[in-house]
Amino acid sequence: MDFKEVIGRRRSIRFFDPKRPVEREKIQTILETARLASCAVNAHWLRAIVVERDKMPPEKLNQLKTPVAALTLDLAPVHIYFFVDLGVVARVKGSRLKELVDVGALAPSHGWSHKFVDDFVYPQILEPMTRNLEGYVPAAFADAGGAAQNALLAAFDEGLGACLNTPNPILTKQILGVPDDWISMWVMLLGYPAESWEAGGQRPRPDFEELYFEGEYGKPFKRDSAVVEKLKAANMIQAPAPLPGRREEIKKLTEELGLPE
Amino acid sequence: MALAKAIADYDTVQTWRSGLNEQWGEEPDMTARTSALERFCDTVGKDPDALIAECTRQVEAGKRIRIKARRQFSEQIAEFQAASGGSAREQLKLGNTIRSFFIHNGIFMQAGLS
Repeated sequence: MDFKEVIGRRRSIRFFDPKRPVEREKIQTILETARLASCAVNAHWLRAIVVERDKMPPEKLNQLKTPVAALTLDLAPVHIYFFVDLGVVARVKGSRLKELVDVGALAPSHGWSHKFVDDFVYPQILEPMTRNLEGYVPAAFADAGGAAQNALLAAFDEGLGACLNTPNPILTKQILGVPDDWISMWVMLLGYPAESWEAGGQRPRPDFEELYFEGEYGKPFKRDSAVVEKLKAANMIQAPAPLPGRREEIKKLTEELGLPE
Repeated sequence: MALAKAIADYDTVQTWRSGLNEQWGEEPDMTARTSALERFCDTVGKDPDALIAECTRQVEAGKRIRIKARRQFSEQIAEFQAASGGSAREQLKLGNTIRSFFIHNGIFMQAGLS
């Protein structure tokens, strides 16, 4: 699928076909995309644990349910729990930055050398940064969030549906038995949509000019309607929700899956 | 437990009806729905407004959901549907009717798959 169309088709899917399994190859593809995400200092904070709903003991699955995501955990056959490994920077101590120097991604032309990493970047920036949790944790989460977004888009590229949820961070850590310095971030619920891929249309978004500025705060980045038309032609900007028939679609799914109206 | 007035006259039942109307775009037939709710009220010994009132509390910052009460009613709905007889599908439908009442009154509730 074209990149722009993948962006356009992504929307949070909440009605999954509970009986249709997800191919292992597709799960691996999704994880591979997360691994290739842009990453500050090449640290790679994101970790993932793939849980197949039907292989998890029911009592553990029930413990992982939150009030808001209980039903979607039942519906989605695969749950990918994302964590942020806060200990990674202290463990790799700048070695992955030096790998970037070795492979020519960071070059002396831009001031990079092994010695710069060993003498300055790790001891004077990275190591102190890990002790300032107020700054370090949001930075690590932002980085891991970008990698998870790759995975999310890959799911749609693979013809699947997905939805990100915030699990209970304490129970998730306990039940999945992760190291102490991993922090729970999201669970990506994954499966084939039981609803149409449009899922009622593209979701409402704030106005473009409300979000983006040019040069300074308060001066909106002007949205060019010709670009918008081009993106519509590329299926990135799609028909907004609600599409005709959405109400009937929800009613049908509600009846088929035995859910409250 | 006999209700003090007709079930349709309770504020929360009217909220339920208007919520269904808004969601599905048509006037709902409330006969079977209110009959189911009345049976549930009888089982737990509370009227419709009391069910919803027990699930919320007012604090300075606004209305809050009482997690324990919601969980308790959720369990009572599951017991109610299991004890109701009929096919599994009919039992589920009955339970979901009661859940719908809570949901349209702002009490978040999910059924799970059966």
